[in-house]
Amino acid sequence: MIKKVRLATVWFDGCAGCHMSLVDIDEAIISVAGRVDVVYGPLVDAQEFPKAVDVTLIEGAISSQEDLEKVQEIRKRTKLIVALGDCAVTGNVPSMRNQIQPRKLLERIYIEGAQTNKGIPTDGVPALLRQAVPVHQVVKVDLHVPGCPPAASAIAYVLGELVEGRIPNLTAKVKFG
Amino acid sequence: MIRIQDFSTFNAVREAGLAKLLPPKPRIGVGMGTCGAGNGAEGIYHAFNEIITNQGRDMKLASVGCFGFCAEEPLVNVRIPGRPLVILRRVQVADVQRIIDDVAQGQPTEGLALCKVESWDHLTASVQYGEGFPNIPNWFDVPFFKPQKKIVLRNCGLISPDDIEEYIAIGGYSALYKVLIDSNPEAVIEQIKAAKLRGRGGAGFLTGLKWEFLRKAVSDKKYIICNADEGDPGAYMNRNEIESDPHALLEGMIIGGYVMGASEGIIYVRAEYPLAVHRLTRAIEQARESGLLGDNILGRGFNFNIQMVEGAGAFVCGEETALIASLEGQAGRPRPRPPFPAAKGLYQHPTNINNVETWYNVAPIVAKGPAWFTETGSTKSAGTKVFSLVGKVTNTGLVEMPLGTPLKTFIYDVGEGGTNGKHIKSVQTGGPSGGCIPQDMFDTPVDYETLQQIGSIMGSGGMVVLDEDNCMVDVARYFIEFTHSESCGKCIPFRVGLDQCLRILNAFTRGRAKESDLDKLDEIGRMIRETSLCGLGQSAPNPLLTTMRHFRHEFEDHIRVNRCRAGVCEELALSPCENSCPLHMNIPRFLDLYKAGRMDDAFEAVIMDNPLPSSTGRVCQHPCEDRCRRAMIDEPLNMREVHRVIADAVYKSDRFETMVERIKTHKLPATERKVAVVGAGPTGLTAAFYLALLGHEVTVFDSNPEPGGMLRYALPEYRLPRDVVRKEIELIRRMGVEFVCNTEIGSETTLNDLDAAYNAVFMAIGTWKESWVYLPGTELSGVYPALLFLEAIAKDEPVRPGKKVIVIGGGNAAIDSARTSLRMGADVTVVYRRERKDMPAIKEETDAAEAEGAKFLFLATPHRIVGGEDGKVKGIEVVNTRLGEFDASGRRRPISTDEIRRLDCDTVILAVGEAVDLDFVRASGFTIKENGTLQVDRYTLETSRSKFYAGGDLVTGASNVSNAMFFGKRAARRIDDRLMGTNNRLIRLLPQVEYSQEAPETPTECHRHSVEELPAQERVETFAESLIGLTPEQTLEEACRCLRCDVKEHH
Amino acid sequence: MPGQISIRIDGEYVTAQVGQTILEVARANGKYIPTLCWLESITPVGACRLCIVEVSGVNRLLPACTTPVQDGMSVTTQSEKLQAYRKIALELLFSERNHICAVCVSNNHCELQGMAQKLGVNSIRYAYSFPKLSVDVSHERYVLDHNRCILCTRCVRVCAQVEGAHVWDVSSRGIHSLVVSDMAKPWGEAVNCTNCGKCVNSCPTGALAEKGFAVEEMVKRDGKVTRLAARRGGQQ
Repeated sequence: MIKKVRLATVWFDGCAGCHMSLVDIDEAIISVAGRVDVVYGPLVDAQEFPKAVDVTLIEGAISSQEDLEKVQEIRKRTKLIVALGDCAVTGNVPSMRNQIQPRKLLERIYIEGAQTNKGIPTDGVPALLRQAVPVHQVVKVDLHVPGCPPAASAIAYVLGELVEGRIPNLTAKVKFG
Repeated sequence: MIRIQDFSTFNAVREAGLAKLLPPKPRIGVGMGTCGAGNGAEGIYHAFNEIITNQGRDMKLASVGCFGFCAEEPLVNVRIPGRPLVILRRVQVADVQRIIDDVAQGQPTEGLALCKVESWDHLTASVQYGEGFPNIPNWFDVPFFKPQKKIVLRNCGLISPDDIEEYIAIGGYSALYKVLIDSNPEAVIEQIKAAKLRGRGGAGFLTGLKWEFLRKAVSDKKYIICNADEGDPGAYMNRNEIESDPHALLEGMIIGGYVMGASEGIIYVRAEYPLAVHRLTRAIEQARESGLLGDNILGRGFNFNIQMVEGAGAFVCGEETALIASLEGQAGRPRPRPPFPAAKGLYQHPTNINNVETWYNVAPIVAKGPAWFTETGSTKSAGTKVFSLVGKVTNTGLVEMPLGTPLKTFIYDVGEGGTNGKHIKSVQTGGPSGGCIPQDMFDTPVDYETLQQIGSIMGSGGMVVLDEDNCMVDVARYFIEFTHSESCGKCIPFRVGLDQCLRILNAFTRGRAKESDLDKLDEIGRMIRETSLCGLGQSAPNPLLTTMRHFRHEFEDHIRVNRCRAGVCEELALSPCENSCPLHMNIPRFLDLYKAGRMDDAFEAVIMDNPLPSSTGRVCQHPCEDRCRRAMIDEPLNMREVHRVIADAVYKSDRFETMVERIKTHKLPATERKVAVVGAGPTGLTAAFYLALLGHEVTVFDSNPEPGGMLRYALPEYRLPRDVVRKEIELIRRMGVEFVCNTEIGSETTLNDLDAAYNAVFMAIGTWKESWVYLPGTELSGVYPALLFLEAIAKDEPVRPGKKVIVIGGGNAAIDSARTSLRMGADVTVVYRRERKDMPAIKEETDAAEAEGAKFLFLATPHRIVGGEDGKVKGIEVVNTRLGEFDASGRRRPISTDEIRRLDCDTVILAVGEAVDLDFVRASGFTIKENGTLQVDRYTLETSRSKFYAGGDLVTGASNVSNAMFFGKRAARRIDDRLMGTNNRLIRLLPQVEYSQEAPETPTECHRHSVEELPAQERVETFAESLIGLTPEQTLEEACRCLRCDVKEHH
Repeated sequence: MPGQISIRIDGEYVTAQVGQTILEVARANGKYIPTLCWLESITPVGACRLCIVEVSGVNRLLPACTTPVQDGMSVTTQSEKLQAYRKIALELLFSERNHICAVCVSNNHCELQGMAQKLGVNSIRYAYSFPKLSVDVSHERYVLDHNRCILCTRCVRVCAQVEGAHVWDVSSRGIHSLVVSDMAKPWGEAVNCTNCGKCVNSCPTGALAEKGFAVEEMVKRDGKVTRLAARRGGQQ
């Protein structure tokens, strides 16, 4: 029996659209599902990021202290990291806050903009990084799959190649920017 | 003012000028360039004026330009009729009366005279001043001037820039006259071409060719432009040329206008040069009034005008197309070429642009011919170039040198080397977009092609000397920041590429760069160089690319060990002393703890940074003192003595046991990993101390009966008592280190044995092998290699030098041998092939040896040792040396002469350098470098054989104690990292001691306390320690002198 | 024919007219050379450096848009080095300002984006600058969004050379360069602006756009501008 690929997906600062696109790969999901074990991600139940993961798909920009620590740990535990979608590849919409100091941003929203319960939440909320940045600015990324979101067909192709142990050639299959 | 119409009026003006230049009474000229004025020349001029007027002295006072020797400003020249012109240096207002009195007496002022000028060749004419004053050197014998050749600066500092008559007196405008009379423009262009004059603005394009383009261009209007937009930081040659000799520029341009068929000339000069603008305005007015500008010049029917435009200060306007845009009233942004200005320039008319200095070469070429011009300089680059020699060099100033002169002539002959004996490591040529050339390439001739080949440029002639105190990463960052802020923003590479480079370089200086950033910098740098629109963009990455190529290890240090060796990048250093200490001792901390009377804490802080504090307190080369900022107030702090006092207080008291127990509490749990250390010298001891504390089982092997290496067997007892070494080793032993002595690795125990029995092996063997000089007579009885001699004494072996000892060498081993021999009753002479200041030995040691009666013979090297029939030494023949060119060490190379002299002696001790005995590792899987040291990774100290690490003398060659210990500390960390698969557990060992974070409001008044030695007559009788250390009170005062550079923010 | 010369482009012999640029000859012969700041019939400025080519015998890279052809010239338009440098230039542009394509009016109709695909860019190696830049909405019909501007100066040249209004210019220098209207007045107050929209249509990105368009809706028609320019006598 062929060893299944241990696949994880993570959702950082993004809209979940890339995960939607991932589950939108239609019948391709059947062939992929037979070849992978989804060991972590918003789609499964695992609480802790497991060790010895083969492929991790990352959606979203690195935006908070928690994201940063987590992605560094993921890098240690993953063979191949795929930045999936524009937020992970370029920072995209989450990075639009980067010209504003986090403190001012939070004040604008939680104090000036709030009707009731004015106050910046601190309990159980990770601190924002000064800027939201693409994943490769923090850890090494092995493959970039741009798109907002990447087309389901592109994702299906990427997964299909990866389970075969090949590095996909994305020329003309994705659109940067 | 006379309007010159013909020869007779021309000659009348000339005579009038000569009468001013060489009056029948004393003439005093004050150097009044911006440089002189900045050093107080105006006050001096007024003082002269007042005294001459008030006292009714019959003297003429003139304001002249600058003679170029900035380091000696303000310069004043005095000339007594019939006598040489004497140049006085560093003149102060207080000297003025004395100078006037002396001049009245017919004497130049004692002590102020820099040099004299008996006659001067202005190239267009020569001036005889007179003879005399044999005690004053001729100007061309002064090292600063000796290699120079003044063509461009031919008149600077000698004539008044404000007086056209003086310019005409020294042959000015006669070249123009000749050109107008000959009325053969093509012939002039041929002359300029034959002279191979190249554009002095930097690009080096052939001027004659450029002139021909414009001459041949067909248009009803043509322009010629002088580019005087000199904007390079540290460059001021054009400013000085214009300020000192504005008419020579006008003459060059008028000639150019005539031969190229232009009727209008424009001088584009920076507005930041007010004095140059002022003098140029005046010169243009005078030239116009004298009939040298305007209609019918010199009565020859040629019409030409020059106007001056002041640039607003954008650096990029020095680029010719941007300059033209600026003249047209547009934003100064370069345009693509073609079309070249010669085809479509100012207002779309054919235009020629030359740099200020190029124009200055025109009149001499016309006057003396191209063949004369090509005699100077190199084949492809004829003539001279003016450079501003600045930075970390003794003599700074404007120097005019033949093209093709090697860099070392600039730096060591003209510049006379580094300041305060610092090591020069690089020179940056060509302004902010030039490259940095490392010291080992100082043979490079300075000409357009060669500089280009090695990644730099001639530029406008900036030459910034950098020494060991400059961080090359910061140097690159500085220049990139400059060009970044001066980029026009038009093309992507220069605008965005340089912005990325600057971001990355800033990350470097903060220790936040990544390994991949090196590749990024390299890639973007090349891209900018090859794809930018204008010359500025194409050259802007030069400082970055050259520093990355020649000083890559500095970039790597910033990434891999967060270290800036020069201590410039403040975020990477605690304080200058800590940064310079090979062991990175937290010096301010132990000083503060001592100050607070917390002696146990102080000892703990010291020993955890430096496991041999008492030994190093006596013999360290103390690089910390070279960096101590207290030296700017009075003298550097005596830091090594304070840690010696702290350590000795424990070693000599009953606190030793308590402290041993306290240090042991830092020990990490046992790891069950075994490490062998080969060599129990300072490197091995340091590694063993830390490895033991990290929980490893450590065994140290040594071939001698006792551990200690050089500390025990090479350093003489009077410098470092063996009891001190034993006590320090005792502490290390108590941390759990096992010593196996009398065991030579290679014979009793082999490397393979170690490989099998240990998890890691650290090799830390010293340089015990004397690099033998092969000269006749070394086989004689009574000839000793220094280290073997010292070792024998340290082992109490019955070795005795004779009555008359000659020691050959200038290092610490030579001085140790000399002082040891003195103590054994010998008469000692040290023979060294260079000068005293070049000796590598610690200065205090040399002084002490001399006080004890050692004699020194400098500039001599052994020729042969003479023996008697009994096979014993009878004497030595030495050859006198003279100092030749500078070598790679920045010192002059001694060259043997044929003068041989004989010295009688019965003992010769050779201390000419040491090497490691690597025989035992050959063919054991190690890579040995060409220089006979072991190849290791700079950072991990791994050798080419797995599990084996090496450090200290083995990898550096002979060094000193603290450098050796540095390797021990690094090895402990790297071996531990590898054995445990972790990163820097060593840091956990370091004690977290609270101490004051307040910097003193004002520095204490107290001067430095230096250690003293017993009186020379007393100490030379005995091997007992000669040191008299500081008392506790003195030590406290010393500790209080610290300025606390480590406290970055004042609360 | 007088003024006719022969040159080689990527090894192929082609005929050219004296005075033509390498780019013009290449385009006329179906050879693709990437460009961003170039616009047909408008004076080239050689700013984006994407059109760099190798010319044998010349040890520098030359911009095809401003280099005139010479008889016997041999031009290489594609090589590993050229590709690498063009890619770096493009990545640098993306890193310089805030190109948040997903929410841009010109998304999918943008020359910068298109160029990224042509050159095979799918991530930016360099750190993004994330500068703080303004959006000028003062004009009644158009918007200027500095976040999307690549400083190609097509707007500046079109306004001056085709419309003759000289509204646009570049202020400051270096990385702080900014396109400004009427000596840095808000566009809506620029008295010289004729509201012709030529600048908007010639802008390669979403920096200049018409109001009232949502994401992906703004399609530029630079052909209109260049045809007009050609009819008015081409480069001035």
